[in-house]
Amino acid sequence: MSSNINSVISLKNISKTYDGPPPVKALDDISIDINEGEFVSIVGQSGSGKSTLLNMIGLLDNASEGIIEIEGKNISDFSDDELSKFRGEKIGFIFQSFFLLPGLTAQENVAEGLLYQGVKREERLKKAKEALEQVGLGHRLTHLPKELSGGEQQRVAIARALVEDPAFVLADEPTGNLDKESGLKILNILKELNDIGKTVIMITHNQEHAKMFKKKIELVDGKIAKYEG
Amino acid sequence: MKVNKLKTRDLFFVALYGVKARRGRAAMTSIGIGIGIAAIVAVTGISSSGKADLLATLESFGTNLIKASPQAGFFGSQESLPVGVVGMVERIGPVEEVTSTSRANLLVRRTNFISEYEGGGISTVVTSNELLEVIGGNLSEGRFIEGDLSDVPVTVLGAVSAERLGIKSIYPPAKILIDDQWFGVIGILEELTIHPDLDRSVFIGYGVAKTLFDIDSEPTTLYLRANPDYVEDVVDVLAPSMNPENPDQVEVSRPSDALEAQQAAEAAFTNLLLGLGSVALLVGGVAIANVMVMSVLERRMEIGVRRSLGATRKEIRSQFLLESIILSGIGGIVGVLLGVGITFGYTNYTNIVFSIPFWQIFGAVVLALVIGAISGMYPAIKASKIQPAEAVRT
Repeated sequence: MSSNINSVISLKNISKTYDGPPPVKALDDISIDINEGEFVSIVGQSGSGKSTLLNMIGLLDNASEGIIEIEGKNISDFSDDELSKFRGEKIGFIFQSFFLLPGLTAQENVAEGLLYQGVKREERLKKAKEALEQVGLGHRLTHLPKELSGGEQQRVAIARALVEDPAFVLADEPTGNLDKESGLKILNILKELNDIGKTVIMITHNQEHAKMFKKKIELVDGKIAKYEG
Repeated sequence: MKVNKLKTRDLFFVALYGVKARRGRAAMTSIGIGIGIAAIVAVTGISSSGKADLLATLESFGTNLIKASPQAGFFGSQESLPVGVVGMVERIGPVEEVTSTSRANLLVRRTNFISEYEGGGISTVVTSNELLEVIGGNLSEGRFIEGDLSDVPVTVLGAVSAERLGIKSIYPPAKILIDDQWFGVIGILEELTIHPDLDRSVFIGYGVAKTLFDIDSEPTTLYLRANPDYVEDVVDVLAPSMNPENPDQVEVSRPSDALEAQQAAEAAFTNLLLGLGSVALLVGGVAIANVMVMSVLERRMEIGVRRSLGATRKEIRSQFLLESIILSGIGGIVGVLLGVGITFGYTNYTNIVFSIPFWQIFGAVVLALVIGAISGMYPAIKASKIQPAEAVRT
């Protein structure tokens, strides 16, 4: 658990307290190192601080105390704009409820992944098509989210996360709303992404899924209860 | 660190997405602005059409026409102007044309079957052929009292008196009774607009007035045209020139002033309607602000996703601000079309000149956009302040 010179994500003594009343300590003195290309699972009960930890790693939230370093840079040195652009370029997010924009087709939803990097529309749509083909949805380009199954919607969301070719993929219970078969499919896609060198960090409730990960972080009441791998 | 930016064209489409995804709501939201802008465009359009019409009227009659008549004396005495007054006035430099009329106190009737007590309301004006030219009047039919016609019992009717006498045309030939003398109708005038008193008159020549009614050619009213650059100066010297001893007994007026006064009275009404239009705009702006605040709350997920995809606070703020401007802009454009339509319908119906200056249309659209920007400011700031971690929490 000691600081590692090769780690791409390094959390040092991170705490997060949500202002009350009463104040809630969601994370308590967490230190983690994640190396490039690792496949990491975060497990724990509801309310144990898993999502808070993932949001912290994904730069969606600030720590109350402690230092977060990504690729050797202290993120507290970043401005809000720089954090936003760093998220856009380096981190792909996958959410439990997919969060697709209902009025856009699958291809347009995926293309939104490149919108804030100033990529031209034609280029965005071209890359979106490739990403959808990669997750096996090349035949669903013009479908709206409501015309897709849950598993397909989550694959569109994955395509949106990887269209920007991120270094890290963060997934918050991506299989939570899916049946067993669709869930396994999603997990396999994430595993394949890891195989091609992406660092994947995923929250899961499913003990069976958790077994597939080399590195496992278990949280209880905002503290690390178990740290494997 | 290099910060890539959302392209302006993309920002527009992102904002448009918010509008398109909720079409029904967008339409309802824009209605307020649409009504306000329509009211303002229609009111200003009708008002400026009215002004354009007035200008056209004034142009046809001319603003350099001056009318001089004796001030009614304290007991109604002094009904005529001094003898030789036309000559005096002609000697004023900038005066271009002068003509005079005499009002004769004669009873005008259609036939002798009409009681003498029911023949009121129409006056008899003794005049010469120049009158029409000086006042800029036109005949709708027949001719005026030209040359020798001055000595024979013929008459020309003003537009209103023709209607009152029931004579619509000089065919078949008609005659009327002026103080028990029959006069043949040889012409009917078009409405003069700026001389309502002449519209209610019948005209006869000086010659016949002298022979039949023993009326001397003592003028009661002078009509004159002055050089347009010196109209005010002529107005100033006219009374002292006509009656040097008692200049205050001469009343000098410009018929075009009356029309302008009438227009000014209508302007007050226009301002009232403009006020109502502004209230509609204000309500429309508040409606947009309300809907946008609601929209921000509903679309936390979208905001969270966009932030996680790399959107900065400023880009989120711009998106919602532009969305609000688009909503208001749609209302503005619909309002302008509606307002122009109403103005066109009104001018067509009342048969006046259609005129909406371009700056009014342009100004109305800009006004709508500004209202959209002001209404969208608070919701946009609210949207940009949402913490991404909070927004993606399920």
